Amino acid sequence: MSSIKEKFNQISPSEFFYSNRDLAGFSNPTRSLYTAVREFVENSLDACDQKGILPDVHLTIKAVDPEKPDPKPYILTVKDNGPGVDSKYVPLAFGTILYGSKFGLKQARGMFGLGATMAILYGQITTNKPVIVKSSRDGKIQDEFELLLDIQKNKPIIVKHKTKEISKSGLSVSICLEGDYSKAGTKIRDYVYETSLITPYATITFDDPKGQKFHHPRFVKNIPSPPTIIRPHPHGIDVERIRRMIVESLFEIPNIDDTMIEKVRKDLGLSKKNLSFTAIMEKARKKGKSLPCQTRVVIALMSFLKMDFEKLNKIRIEDIDVPNKKLFYWDFGDSQSKSVDMDSESQYYNLLTHTVQGEPLTTFLTKRFQRVGPTTAVKFAKFAKFKPEKRMGTMTNQELVKLSNSLQTFEDFMAPDSNCLAPLGAEPLEKGIKKFFNPDFTAVVQRPASAYSGFPFIIEMGIAYGGEIKSGGPHVYRFANRIPLLYDEGSDVVLKVVNDADWGRYKVKGEPPFVIVSHICSTRIPYKTAGKENVADRPEIERELRLALQLLSRKLAAYMSKRGQAEMAKKRSNLYAKYIPMIAEFCTELAGKKKEPDYKKILEEVNPIEPKKIVEEEKPIENK
Amino acid sequence: MKTSKSKELNKKSKEKQKNILEMLKSHGAKIYDDLDNGQFPKFSIPSRSVSNIVYDKKLRQYILGNNSALRSAKNSAQLRSFTQLMWLAFFANRLTQEKKSSTLRDVYYSSQAFAVEFEDQSESDNIIVDLEAVTSKPREDFHIFPEERSSIFGDLDIEYTIPGYEGKTMNLSNHPDGYSIGPSLTTCDLVGTSAEIVIAVEKGGLFTRFVEEQIDKKFKSIIINTGGQAPRSTRTLLKRLHDEMGLPVIILTDGDVYGEHIAMVIKSGSANAAHLRELTVPDAKWVGVWATDIEKYKLPTIPMTEFDIKRCYDLQKDPRYQEGIWKKELDVFLKLKRKAELEAFSKYGLTNITDKYLPQKLELAKSL
Repeated sequence: MSSIKEKFNQISPSEFFYSNRDLAGFSNPTRSLYTAVREFVENSLDACDQKGILPDVHLTIKAVDPEKPDPKPYILTVKDNGPGVDSKYVPLAFGTILYGSKFGLKQARGMFGLGATMAILYGQITTNKPVIVKSSRDGKIQDEFELLLDIQKNKPIIVKHKTKEISKSGLSVSICLEGDYSKAGTKIRDYVYETSLITPYATITFDDPKGQKFHHPRFVKNIPSPPTIIRPHPHGIDVERIRRMIVESLFEIPNIDDTMIEKVRKDLGLSKKNLSFTAIMEKARKKGKSLPCQTRVVIALMSFLKMDFEKLNKIRIEDIDVPNKKLFYWDFGDSQSKSVDMDSESQYYNLLTHTVQGEPLTTFLTKRFQRVGPTTAVKFAKFAKFKPEKRMGTMTNQELVKLSNSLQTFEDFMAPDSNCLAPLGAEPLEKGIKKFFNPDFTAVVQRPASAYSGFPFIIEMGIAYGGEIKSGGPHVYRFANRIPLLYDEGSDVVLKVVNDADWGRYKVKGEPPFVIVSHICSTRIPYKTAGKENVADRPEIERELRLALQLLSRKLAAYMSKRGQAEMAKKRSNLYAKYIPMIAEFCTELAGKKKEPDYKKILEEVNPIEPKKIVEEEKPIENK
Repeated sequence: MKTSKSKELNKKSKEKQKNILEMLKSHGAKIYDDLDNGQFPKFSIPSRSVSNIVYDKKLRQYILGNNSALRSAKNSAQLRSFTQLMWLAFFANRLTQEKKSSTLRDVYYSSQAFAVEFEDQSESDNIIVDLEAVTSKPREDFHIFPEERSSIFGDLDIEYTIPGYEGKTMNLSNHPDGYSIGPSLTTCDLVGTSAEIVIAVEKGGLFTRFVEEQIDKKFKSIIINTGGQAPRSTRTLLKRLHDEMGLPVIILTDGDVYGEHIAMVIKSGSANAAHLRELTVPDAKWVGVWATDIEKYKLPTIPMTEFDIKRCYDLQKDPRYQEGIWKKELDVFLKLKRKAELEAFSKYGLTNITDKYLPQKLELAKSL
């Protein structure tokens, strides 16, 4: 009998995504080409948004060998006029999975910049070609890298690096990947078209593999104010997040190196002088709380170690064992671990333990979360049955779970701050709708900020009718954080709300020439899947969507009834134009006359006041 | 002698045609002037709604009351029917001028040549009734006739007025199957007759028997088959035979509530034609088969259906059934709840009805 030893290996993020690439939208050549386009375009737009630059994005897709049938390798290049990436970070940013700058809490198209590296990874595994990144931050020097990913180590391999002088800042990323443009083309063109609708301040150009150029110049000159990064809202928290926040918030025991010692000496006014341990302690006692926190922690340590600066230089603090009141340190001289007891009566004892145990609950709440004041924090502590001064570092696992549950259920927190959101704004949205659909009627609304599970969101919606819009509506255009959502619309909450509406009530009948544009902005869009294509039906979001749609529908109904009246008048006028000449013809013979009566006068009388305008409005109905 | 009378009659018929044309022209001229003056043409039309149909005891028929509706070309909802009516007047004018006849169905199809739309024939039929109501003239005056199904037989000289036959004469006893009552007979001049009475029967079978048994000669009569409910052309002819030739009219129908009403319609018209006044023969007499005859002559009967009974109750509300034999016989029908057809007499031999029943009824008619 042979025994098989199980092997446990840690895999790198690169390896994980390599074997699960369909999770991120790289399931087949069609979908992958589309997803890669999206990731790079969205990264470019996000980068420009952050720096307040009016984006100029140029997308090019070229077949490596145009004669080959799809699927085949394509070169995908996205070039922008954004801030570029510091040459130091280029290899890490484009050659490592899960390396990024977008981890803060604010509205952005992508969350972590993960998608772009996924696209690079996908390109590499399908064509074995490096990614080419050209970046310039200052608009003078451009760094050009050719990079490969070491999948197992999750590390970049720099194949080539050179610099040259240029005249414009910006970033250009070019990858070679297996794709199917014949199938993905429609979606990519739709994506570019719809992106330019929801990003009216961007100029987007697309050169497709067949040599066609799709140019969407910006038609709004003002970039919407960028969102600010904010702290999380208590409702949107979980245990793991709290744990991480505690780790971040702990007042760490300072690393006592030369610099630190230098700083403490300076704070005590002893830069030049060497004093004995007792003298130092005396000096520190006199300065008291005027000293910086870190300095006081060092003093506290010295008080228990009973060491002067010279001796301090030769040890390293290992651990502070609060329950056993022991302080462990490594002695470089003796090369061994030593410990001293800490006197709990000492004035420095509390300082040190508090540092280790972290800040009190109330401070933690007010400092680490958005819109929590001291009063609310105390109220919450009572609600959650914690002492307000409970130290965060002393929380047990059970207590953390209790805290997390209480944070999510306490109702007296203020609504989430919506400063982290960057809606497009009603005016640019209306402008975009008018430009793209050339309708007879447009209405837009931006709902006030609302929140689900602690994540703020804003709904923007527009409605357009008639004009050059095709019949067979409502045609729904869905956007989330300025990204067009093109796949899986059947299961989307927006579609659900639109389908629930009783359009007959709003005088919209049959297959109307009718467009609905919906934009959800949030720090976290509740996507149903990782592919970012459909939004889940959270009741709070559904409610806001409904309210927005109702408001717009009522405006549409008012317009439709006016339009109906005009059409009716037109219809009536048509009736007269048809029948009066017939009556004239018949009565002429009946009366035995030769010449027909002059009936033009009464036809003029029944003509609607603006016959020309109504003719224009009539057009789209015939337009199929 | 005969020729001069014929000429006189011919003149009379021409006169009538001229009157119709004059009337149509005056209507047309009014509309023409309205249009020419920049006004929406309009005219009033007597209301034919149930509430406006009243029974006139003096005239002994249903007539339209005083309510009338204004039909205006300004009202877009009426524009279509306004145009349809104008077309019909225009079309009737041509028919009358050219002395061409047409049927209700013809009218429906003819409209399409002028791009006048009728949804179906019932819409065009309705417009024809509108024209009758506006002009108070039956459609036959405008040369529009229903399908023919009734016939006439007997010693009656007529002179055609329809184009191609003008002046031609005919005696209506020359053909034993009888003559169908169509446009030519409705418009012909009645020249002379030896008959002293008109016998209208409900059924073709009995009509044939009467001809075979030479009822026309035996009783000096003109026999008319109404073919069920008498068509308006037949009623017009009956009226003319009564008014112009001075002949009394008697009516013989099945012994049921429908038969009784066939007689009533010949006598005093129907609510449907309340807008017309030249279709009734108020002096016409219904001589059978009465409900009381069923027992008297021991006729074989069949039971009345629920529908028959309901019809009896309906007619009881009709003002014309409130007195005389009309009321009496209706009550008896309701009591018996049975009915008998004219053919029932055949139980006692094929000629029983002509040999026994008819003479008795003719005798009785004199006293009615």
